[in-house]
Amino acid sequence: MAVSELADGRNVEHGSSWNAPKARGRRGALTAMLALTAHFIRRELRNRYLGSISGGLWALLQPLIQLAIYSFVWTYVFKMRLPGDEGSSPAAIVPFLALGVWPWNAFSEAVMRSATSIQDNAGLIGKVAFPRGVLVFAASSASFLLHAFGFVVVIIVIELLGIPVRLAMLPLALAVFAMLFMLALGFGYLFAAVQVFVRDLSQVLGQVLPLMMFTAPVLYAREFLPERFRSLLDWNPFTFYPEYLRAELLGIGTVGIGAQLMALALAIVMCAVGYAVFRRLNPRFEDFL
Amino acid sequence: MSAANTSAVSAVDGSLLAVARDLGKSYPKVFRPRDRLRALGKLLVGIDNIDSVPVLSGVNLEVVRGESLGLIGENGAGKSTLLKLLTGVLTPTKGSVEVRGRVGALLELGAGFHPEYTGRDNISMSAALYGLGADELREKLPEIIAFADIGRYIDEPVKHYSSGMVVRLGFAIVAALRPDLLITDEVLAVGDESFQKKCVRWMEDYLADGGTLILVSHSMYHIQKLCRHALWLRQGEVAAAGDVFDVTQAYLAYHERKLAGTPDRGAIAAQGIEFHLVGFDVNGVDQETPVFLNQGDTLRLRARVRSRDGRVPTVAFGITRADGTAVYGVSSEMDGVAPYLDSADTFVGEIVFDDLALLPGAYTIKAHPMDTEGVRLFDTLERGIVVRGSTREFGLVRLHHRWGEASERLLRQNMAASASSDSP
Repeated sequence: MAVSELADGRNVEHGSSWNAPKARGRRGALTAMLALTAHFIRRELRNRYLGSISGGLWALLQPLIQLAIYSFVWTYVFKMRLPGDEGSSPAAIVPFLALGVWPWNAFSEAVMRSATSIQDNAGLIGKVAFPRGVLVFAASSASFLLHAFGFVVVIIVIELLGIPVRLAMLPLALAVFAMLFMLALGFGYLFAAVQVFVRDLSQVLGQVLPLMMFTAPVLYAREFLPERFRSLLDWNPFTFYPEYLRAELLGIGTVGIGAQLMALALAIVMCAVGYAVFRRLNPRFEDFL
Repeated sequence: MSAANTSAVSAVDGSLLAVARDLGKSYPKVFRPRDRLRALGKLLVGIDNIDSVPVLSGVNLEVVRGESLGLIGENGAGKSTLLKLLTGVLTPTKGSVEVRGRVGALLELGAGFHPEYTGRDNISMSAALYGLGADELREKLPEIIAFADIGRYIDEPVKHYSSGMVVRLGFAIVAALRPDLLITDEVLAVGDESFQKKCVRWMEDYLADGGTLILVSHSMYHIQKLCRHALWLRQGEVAAAGDVFDVTQAYLAYHERKLAGTPDRGAIAAQGIEFHLVGFDVNGVDQETPVFLNQGDTLRLRARVRSRDGRVPTVAFGITRADGTAVYGVSSEMDGVAPYLDSADTFVGEIVFDDLALLPGAYTIKAHPMDTEGVRLFDTLERGIVVRGSTREFGLVRLHHRWGEASERLLRQNMAASASSDSP
């Protein structure tokens, strides 16, 4: 009690400090936390485009170029047709791919960058006391902001090109991105903490993530697989996302309510578990960095 | 560090700013990747006893609001670790540390600065790192830029800055934060003359306004100039704490003795020489840290000598100034006395200096066992003492003296004259 009185009396005029969170109340601490998060996100985004002439323009160009490449390869080289719709125009594959590739890029990049976010900022962690979880959150957020933005751009461009997409479902798609963000953040917290102790993790992730991509229907549809392999896809936590987005935005296939709830539960549990591990290991980071 | 005696008072008036209780920090021993994996496993299941090396242990510290504490010690003594524990960068392995207020640390050049970003960007980043909201930053930005006073460089990347400019920027940010507790070191010495003056002026204002300072320095001059109390860390433990002059003198004396080089005790005992010292206490205290006493106190030295053949040794004591200048030396043989037998093979020589004539300062006391004839010297043990006092006399000792009669008459006349002029 004496502590809070003291802090209240002395610190309010000066504002906050991580050492004296009581000083300015919960809201002040939240404001400070948000300001710090915003700074780290801005830094993440800027670091990617730092020194490039076009700067933020890349955020727009990159997804378009990527879309063009995928469309070309899948339409003319692989000549892939949608399941049960072999007679449709070759371009119909483009939105199908986009709904798999963009969520995946957001997810895998968020996990990879989060995993090294603590180690990469070892210098800062060893010198300044601040809530370190913000680093992981910012790394994941930056990836999702970029790719969600790219996703919206790509969907709009597809619509403009005359390929039908249910644009009204776009807000729902972004909500699904938010769910995916939780899942990625959970993995991010977990891996960022473990990476401090086991440096091989990021190397292993570099191998495991592509495996995860190819065992989920990112670049193909479940129906392309032989019958006996199809149910195996459900073991991959990412499978839900492209399938659900395709069902809602393109009307390709359906995802049952059970699978939806399962995916939501998984995202929440992963986020909680990842953060719990992070919190437990957090006090010892400095010793092992 | 206001030692234990002031703690009761400060705890009551609630002005205690930083408290450390039995604070300890160990770093884990990790040589192989396997150790890291094992540590990870242990931490995950909640076991916290990782094989580790202690770097700091048993530190008790109380910093009262408005206090200025100097932190001294050799390289690797644990100063940085203690500071990192205070700032919250490190988590203690043992004990607790609590700081009730905002801490501003200015320890390394440009800690937390990103070289690619401009000064302005780095200011906002640092402010966010210190927990400032966006509004507060907007409010303080002009003040920070004005204080740093680096002109157009504020909009250039920090990598183009000189080290002086980096310090200016860092200091300006910390100054704008108005921390309750400021932790800093000689990093300020990098700035140019005018900026240093600005910093010192700011610090003086800060201290005058009731700010609290912890200064780490190897310069006893700086410590004595800016701090009222000092804490000396040695090998991760508090060697001495208290008044700044006492602690710095003790620290300097320790260095003098260390430079002089004392042989390893264990090796001497193992050599099986005829006489060797097994103990040497000063006023009842047998330890390496200096003993403090006031001018005119009684100094009691007691040396315990083991005699291999049971022959009676001669015990010699010497006093030197910390710089090695001899002050006085005497042996039991010179005075025609002999040490007394304490146990089977151990003799004790004890000498008492009543009304110690040494002037204030740090001194080294040496004890030597010699053979019965007082010819051969076998061993040496040294202890430090610090004599306190506020006399203006010069030299090493106060010699017996009296002033001549003429002078005394003159003094009496002067006193009488001043008394009459005071009351006309």
